[in-house]
Amino acid sequence: MVLPPVAVVAVFIGFPVGAAIAYTLGKTGGPNSTVSLLAQRQHVAHHGVTTAAYREVLGNSHVRADLWATVWVTLVTIAVVVLLSWAIGLYLRLSDTRISRIVSALSVIPLFIPVVIASYAILTFYASQGFIKTLAYHLGWHSFPTLGYTLWAVVIGEIWVNVPFGVLMMSSGLNSVPNALIEAARDSGASLPRTVRSVLLPMNVIPTVIVATFTGIYVLGSFTVPYLTGPSAPNLMGVSMANFFSAFNQPQQAEVMAMIVFVLAIGIGTIYIWANVRAAKRASSTT
Amino acid sequence: MKARLLAIAVAVLVFVPAAFSAVDAGGSMHAAKKANAGTTIVVYASGDVNVQNLWQNNIIPQFEKANKGIYVKFVFSEHGTQDGTTLARIGAAVKGRHWPGIDLVDGGLVTTMASAGLNQPVKKATAPNLKKVNPDLLVPVKGNAIPYRGSSVVLAYNTDHVKSPPKTLQGLLDWIKANPGKFTYNSPNSGGSGYSFAETVVDSFLSKSVNTQMVNDYVPNLESNWKQGFDTLHGLNKYVYQGVYPNGNAAVLTLLGQGQIWVAPVWSDQALTALKNGQLGPNIKLSQISSPSFTGGAAYLAVPKTAKHKKVLYKFVNYVLSPKAQQMIVDVMAGFPAIDVKYMGDAIKQKFQDVDANILRQTYNTKMQNDFKAQWQQTVP
Repeated sequence: MVLPPVAVVAVFIGFPVGAAIAYTLGKTGGPNSTVSLLAQRQHVAHHGVTTAAYREVLGNSHVRADLWATVWVTLVTIAVVVLLSWAIGLYLRLSDTRISRIVSALSVIPLFIPVVIASYAILTFYASQGFIKTLAYHLGWHSFPTLGYTLWAVVIGEIWVNVPFGVLMMSSGLNSVPNALIEAARDSGASLPRTVRSVLLPMNVIPTVIVATFTGIYVLGSFTVPYLTGPSAPNLMGVSMANFFSAFNQPQQAEVMAMIVFVLAIGIGTIYIWANVRAAKRASSTT
Repeated sequence: MKARLLAIAVAVLVFVPAAFSAVDAGGSMHAAKKANAGTTIVVYASGDVNVQNLWQNNIIPQFEKANKGIYVKFVFSEHGTQDGTTLARIGAAVKGRHWPGIDLVDGGLVTTMASAGLNQPVKKATAPNLKKVNPDLLVPVKGNAIPYRGSSVVLAYNTDHVKSPPKTLQGLLDWIKANPGKFTYNSPNSGGSGYSFAETVVDSFLSKSVNTQMVNDYVPNLESNWKQGFDTLHGLNKYVYQGVYPNGNAAVLTLLGQGQIWVAPVWSDQALTALKNGQLGPNIKLSQISSPSFTGGAAYLAVPKTAKHKKVLYKFVNYVLSPKAQQMIVDVMAGFPAIDVKYMGDAIKQKFQDVDANILRQTYNTKMQNDFKAQWQQTVP
């Protein structure tokens, strides 16, 4: 009974991935014959395999600059999204007022706004004649930096896109912590920060890991936000890949870059699985 | 039970999109039903909505009205997002000698198809109006694609701030340096207007013969000649708007419309449309520079080698190249006619006597362009 789903995954995902890996290693026959008919500047292995495409891409200092940009934008976004969604989640968990309900509604709004529209809005908002800069100017800060078309605009955009998911995960995780535990801690004299650190934090590790890993994987592969709001160079790998694939007609190099992103994503995925396995072990040992 | 569910799921996944794409391709189920009575040809086009409007609301209905019994299915891909898959689909079909499901292609992929040898050569076409087209336009595509309209890149400037626009490329470069932050062009890989500016600067350092070879052929060993031009472009980084090259032709038009930049290279047809619908204000004017001028060129149609109903298809192509349809190109999308202006009405003759598609300065061969974009990305920003 498990066979049909496995077969579907193998045919629709496994096979194309396999063909792509073969293509990056210089195999241009079989399923890759159409793409290699049209491509430019490809490395062909006549016997065995060749790593020439990998050497070319990794030896290109501009691609390396894009890779570093991708890594730091991803790390900064993860850090801010986790902090922000923790803060909002905690506020919603500990306070039940009209304001907290408004905050909770506002924080998921980005889910309902298309990323293209949001990116243009962010670009206009932080442009050299945008709202933020105009406001800063009127407040007397004349040298306020223009964030539009910089990697910081990309970071802002990525945070904007990822915060709703973070807030939903964190608040559901925090809501599943029984009130009794929190009250017990407070009754035994623990301060609020101490309660958060010793009760809520340990009981909310898995949602935190999920938010961090999913945000990371999303940012690694993102295209629209960096394409519309980012600088000409260096930019994120998603934009670079699209350029190599279509504008430069170098699909082999684009697929090599995809493999690099894939390896990074596997690294993040491993953390996610490790955390889940650890949690499962712990759950089985306590019951 | 699970297996049956899966079978149903697979069936839904396969048939529902197929049904939708059939609706898409036909424009309506009605068109698909009508098609049973006569011959149907399938036209694929990609580009901006102005291209869609030209085909869907002008050329195709007029052609169907004049030719009872012939139906044209129109498939449109906005901004060419489907170009990659369509190209792969046609490539695979032509290699396997079966019908690709598309008979006529208009879009950026046409020149790639021409150089990959997927197209029916133009000399086999049975369209009398092809004789009205300048044969020089066939050289860059090796006689494998049909030019059907032209457009050119021009210089747009804001008359509130720029009283006399630069007349030459050197004048423009001097202006950019004298007015830091008031000029930019879109990254060449994201749109043709920025590409044209970059190529024009590079071309100004090339000899005539090198330039001609780059237009007609893929000659990677000549690419070292680009260095001086790219250095000049790199030198402009500190003078362009925020040191940034926005993505897409439209992004530059937006900056121009907002008054953030005062001068920029733009597509003539796109700018004229933007002026007409108010996206650009009346303070924006267009002009051309010289020595060298910005590039322009023809948009091409491709007939895949394994297209069906070739006879009927060329009847349609002939219609596209007729003075009547060429007039629509001028009226609807402010394009240039691809046929010699002497076949057009007097008003058109006057409007285009200086700039028709036949004398537009040609861009490089497609593969050359791809390498050019790659090198720009690595050396300029």
